[in-house]
Amino acid sequence: MTKVVIVDSDEKTCAAIIGPTGAEHRHLSNRVMRDALAKAGLSFSDISYVVATGYGRINVPFADRQITELTCHARGISSMFPNVRTVIDIGGQDAKGLKIKDGKLTDFIMNDRCAAGTGRFLDVLVDTLGVRVEDLGPLSLKSTQKVVISSLCTIFAQMEIRTRLSQGTPLPDIVAGLHDSIADRVFKMAKKLKIEPDVVFTGGVAKNIGVVKALEAHIGFKIYVPEEPLLTGALGAALIGKEFALKAIAKGEPIHKKELRLDEAATFFQSENS
Amino acid sequence: MAMYLGLDIGSGTSKGVIIKDGVPIAYHILPSGVDYRAVSLQLRDEILAMVGGSVTVADINDTVATGHGATSADFCQRRESDIICCTRGIFNLFPSARTVIDIQRTYTQVIRLNAQGMVENFLINEKCATGSGCFLDIVCHVLRIDLKDVGPLSLEARNPVSFTTGCAVFGESEAISRVSEGTPVNDILAGVHLSLANKISSLVDRLGLIMDCAICGGGALNVGLIKAIEEKMGFKLLLPEKPQFVNALGAAILAASGERNGNS
Repeated sequence: MTKVVIVDSDEKTCAAIIGPTGAEHRHLSNRVMRDALAKAGLSFSDISYVVATGYGRINVPFADRQITELTCHARGISSMFPNVRTVIDIGGQDAKGLKIKDGKLTDFIMNDRCAAGTGRFLDVLVDTLGVRVEDLGPLSLKSTQKVVISSLCTIFAQMEIRTRLSQGTPLPDIVAGLHDSIADRVFKMAKKLKIEPDVVFTGGVAKNIGVVKALEAHIGFKIYVPEEPLLTGALGAALIGKEFALKAIAKGEPIHKKELRLDEAATFFQSENS
Repeated sequence: MAMYLGLDIGSGTSKGVIIKDGVPIAYHILPSGVDYRAVSLQLRDEILAMVGGSVTVADINDTVATGHGATSADFCQRRESDIICCTRGIFNLFPSARTVIDIQRTYTQVIRLNAQGMVENFLINEKCATGSGCFLDIVCHVLRIDLKDVGPLSLEARNPVSFTTGCAVFGESEAISRVSEGTPVNDILAGVHLSLANKISSLVDRLGLIMDCAICGGGALNVGLIKAIEEKMGFKLLLPEKPQFVNALGAAILAASGERNGNS
């Protein structure tokens, strides 16, 4: 997904939207930007500074600067949760653990080698279960006896679930087992960083209350989830952008190093995990 | 006249072989679907009908079931592991084989057998599905290509794609990325074969290769995959005429021999 957050000089959010990236849209971040501008009632010339982040940040020709998603996430999350020390981010392509001190990123760890323990695990398995991804959380809360999913691998877990379904295991118990599997894998990764409170959980999977509960059970601390856990990276990018703009103004330098136009990406740069 | 039935209820397809006086007389294959029990019954009834001459269940002296869904074929008294069935099947076809690569839908297993056709050792990709047929299944789905066309298409590749991920699930996204860049499907498919060949040859290396080496399972129907494995390992593989039926054949041979290894 492509997310756009526009903040004003008081760090108040003027617009925040989520649009498609996908295979066809990855060079069309300008369209999502246009939608965000329309929502905020602004034109592109009103924007002082643009920071692009994420796997596809190189495909944003109208950005002043590209900054890694780790830095932007750390900034965005710190602005919402000033006491944050540990962040767990589970997205569709990877899972990350971040350590933050005084609003700055101090360490991180990630898994992007295997779909187990990422959102893709659930994406694949909802097809087998015949439920919608957004229904997983509420469904899992109805579980009375969660199953243990013994396979780590998504494909093997899929077979395991088929067997469970044919045995008549209740859906909530299977879903709760899947959530536990993700939570267990991500917890084992994140604990290498020494998990300290406050713990904040972001990324698309953080919208799943079942995974939040399962992670809380593993970690043993309360987990905070932002209202919109997909937007923390874009928010951080906007806040960092504001700082760059203010710095340039303070030094009396021009804000932009080049003239920016709201074009689609002309050349197609491929990032390995996009 | 003694007839024996071997059933291989796999996670992708279910196969049946009937042997009569030691010679296969009928082969049948069906997609497994989700109900292993139903498919194993259907497979048994349909393969009996294929034999003709009003042959019924009562004419089958013994049946052995194998494969992921073997326990669901509860009408069948005997079950054997697919390792043993594969070994018996291959040894029947190629008495010189000492190593077998069995590429199935979700597992790839490599077996070493001795000169008497007995299992010496084996390895399975037990932790992760990469290296098994499902990677191809997934990519075919993305590319909207029929699995049977994959081999020939891949042979026309000019610049095989190098997959960066070892994960079959992430391989799907990578295939989508390549398609959106305009990479020809031939190159993508050949890239999947290279990735599989690497995984499979490392399994063989871990087990320890002894020649001759045979290949079977549904993956062995794919000429592109066979070529990639042969090029990676540097020798020719023994290829059965019906590679998907080797385990079912082995099961039928076990039924005929009266040998018991597994659950009965």
